Amino acid sequence: MKSLLLFLANLDVKIKEGPFKIVHPMFGAINSMLFTPGHGTTTGPHIRDSIDMKRFMGIVIFALVPSILVGSYNVGAQAGVEGLFAAFMFGFLKLLPIIVVTYAVGLGWEMIFGHINGHDIHEGFLVTGILLPLTLPPTIPLWQVAVAVSFGTVIGKEVFGGTGMNLLNPALTARAFLFFTYPGNISGDSVWVALDGFTGATPLAAAASSTGPAVETLNAAGFTLSNMFFGFNPGSIGETSTIAILIGAVILLITGVASWRIMLATLIGAYGMALIVQFFGADVAGGMRTLPAHYHLVMGGFMFGAVFMTTDPVSAAGTNIGKWIYGILIGVMAILIRVFNPAYPEGMMLAILFGNVFSPLIDHFVVQANIKRRLNYGK
Amino acid sequence: MGVFKLKKGYDIPLQGSAERRLEKAPKTTAVAVQPIDFRSLRPGMKIEAGDTVSRGSILFVDKQKPEILFRSPAAGTVREVVRGERRVIQRIIIDVVGDSAEKFESYTADQVNNFSASQAKEILLNSGLWPTIRQRPFSKIADFDALPKAIFISAVDSAPLQAESDMLLDGQDKQFQLGIQLLSKLTEGKIHLSVSTKTKAFFANIKGVELHEFSGPHPAGNVGVQIHHIDRIQAGEKVWYVSPRHVSQIGSFLTGGEYPSSKTYALTGSELEKGYYVKGREGALVSDLANMAFNNTTQRVISGNVLTGVKSAAQGFVGFYDDMITVVPELEGRRFFGWLRLGLNANSFWPMFLSKFTPKKKLAPTTDMNGEERAFVSTGEYEKVVPMDVLPVHLCKAILVEDIELMEQLGIYEVAAEDLALCSYICPSKIEFGDIIQKGIETMEKEG
Repeated sequence: MKSLLLFLANLDVKIKEGPFKIVHPMFGAINSMLFTPGHGTTTGPHIRDSIDMKRFMGIVIFALVPSILVGSYNVGAQAGVEGLFAAFMFGFLKLLPIIVVTYAVGLGWEMIFGHINGHDIHEGFLVTGILLPLTLPPTIPLWQVAVAVSFGTVIGKEVFGGTGMNLLNPALTARAFLFFTYPGNISGDSVWVALDGFTGATPLAAAASSTGPAVETLNAAGFTLSNMFFGFNPGSIGETSTIAILIGAVILLITGVASWRIMLATLIGAYGMALIVQFFGADVAGGMRTLPAHYHLVMGGFMFGAVFMTTDPVSAAGTNIGKWIYGILIGVMAILIRVFNPAYPEGMMLAILFGNVFSPLIDHFVVQANIKRRLNYGK
Repeated sequence: MGVFKLKKGYDIPLQGSAERRLEKAPKTTAVAVQPIDFRSLRPGMKIEAGDTVSRGSILFVDKQKPEILFRSPAAGTVREVVRGERRVIQRIIIDVVGDSAEKFESYTADQVNNFSASQAKEILLNSGLWPTIRQRPFSKIADFDALPKAIFISAVDSAPLQAESDMLLDGQDKQFQLGIQLLSKLTEGKIHLSVSTKTKAFFANIKGVELHEFSGPHPAGNVGVQIHHIDRIQAGEKVWYVSPRHVSQIGSFLTGGEYPSSKTYALTGSELEKGYYVKGREGALVSDLANMAFNNTTQRVISGNVLTGVKSAAQGFVGFYDDMITVVPELEGRRFFGWLRLGLNANSFWPMFLSKFTPKKKLAPTTDMNGEERAFVSTGEYEKVVPMDVLPVHLCKAILVEDIELMEQLGIYEVAAEDLALCSYICPSKIEFGDIIQKGIETMEKEG
């Protein structure tokens, strides 16, 4: 162990001063991952909490593991692969290249910006690099992944000053980029099943195009409530299994990494809006408006977004009251887009980006309220 | 009597609290008065190395306000005037010889009651004890030309391993009462005395104060938090605050006619086998107080508590406002995959380590930062350790962009670095909230 430490210390100096300076941010990240940085306090507080960003982000990745496992299995199962392990391996081998490309390209950009700004690669990207692949269909061309990650990292994050300064969630920025530039590869009926020429509509698409009551259409296609809850239907890799996402949610909430306010508010906003839509949808024969409110919660990317995307602390509202408003806004918007947008049945991604854009404004009003309250004290 | 039950805050479970046992300091070889203990003070020296001083001799004055005197806590010879960077005077070290003392007039309680405001002020300034009175905003020595809205005294001990106020007062309730009488001349407002369930009994019979009871985790004992709940500082207002021990020191001066420099300290921290109290001198040398030797490379000696104290050393001195020494282990080096550990003994506010299942277990954390500085990422947790209607992250961001108006609006006048110390402690991005607040306070002072 001692010799390894010494080796790392020597290497650190060599890289910093050598011709390969540009990889130093990467080396620094690996170095501090292997061993704690070993910096001592100089001023008070003389002791510090054991938490750091690595632990913080590590827990998010840990919480994503159930979605990775079930999602991989489902990709195999949808493609007709028999057997639990075989199906998992089939799906995992679809997911792995996407993750590898995301990390390689994303970390490359992070390294360049780390070099320019003189800091190590920050832990935030480790999460982005898993989140993005899980929101993509298994058939996504890898070059598109590379382009999207570049866009998400550079335009979504680095131009604002890097991790912590970004306005939008970088993973969703990347996904939105793909959605608007190459819609053929990320929407429609033919991209969700990893078999050539095989089409399989997502439950949301099936519900949107139903001519009779949506539930009947769903049930006829095999998309029962329990099927969608466990996640054995076509969709983006990580989004289909509500149960796997909820296990992740429990981990995030127990450890305090994610805000329960945001998650709950998003659920309340979506469920409430879906109830309203359902109430006023009594007169139509088919389509999204006939869908019972609770179906919305297990379909499409809603739960994945509500648990992992809305709660990104950087792009979400930062004040406690702001988090309620932000979450409800996203929930309501997601349902509105789903129900009233004729072009595309999913609304969660755009709703969250919409929430991201508004979160500074929401915080602004909460801060103004604090200022007003402070001024009125004693009057 | 107001009762305040604060919910927000956090008590770090630490080993090494002081048991209620008072010992005498093994020896008194040297003392020091440290101008750096007083924020933004520029000392005007009255002595130099080699001079002989008595207890109560003037060592230096405040250059901006020469009426504010600093007197020697012991008799002896001035060993050295220690200067730091840019020749800033850090401390005046005095080798203790004998105990000759300057004589002052002494007063009875009745005489003190008949003092006018200007008389009281003059006596306090001359005593060398004026620096015991501090003000908010800016948490520095009180401006004697100002008329404070109220004076606050906190006898609530909430900081990690903090010394208990009644132990520090060591039965000097009469002196404390006399000190209160003198302070009451300095304000037309009230004197607010906050107590906890532990210290209530000792202060129950004190007259001339408005008594409040505070309970809850740290920083419930911080005077800034109490001011916020009892009578908030509005724009243009000033309040003063004094520690209970200093109140009784003022009382001792009035009756004794000498500069009283005896002071009780708590020796605490996980590096001590057992914490206890020790009676020594003001400005005491650490190695004079402890009956064991400390190792400066493996142990961190802190003057004050672990959150807001100042790094000292075995050969260092205890600060003017500090009444405890905390000794914790120094960082041990780099740990293999530290961020992946299960953390049975990890000190953490966050429920991310196994130690969360044993919340009562006392821990012995080192001075490890446990990470590197990052951008602000986490939100919502800092508010949990700040029991005030203040938005810590927004206030700090306002300070960082030097938006004076916003800083004012978000409460810069109400806070001191110590009030947000727990934010720095729990921060996963390792942001120094205390330094930022300090910077904000300095900016405001300059804009003044």
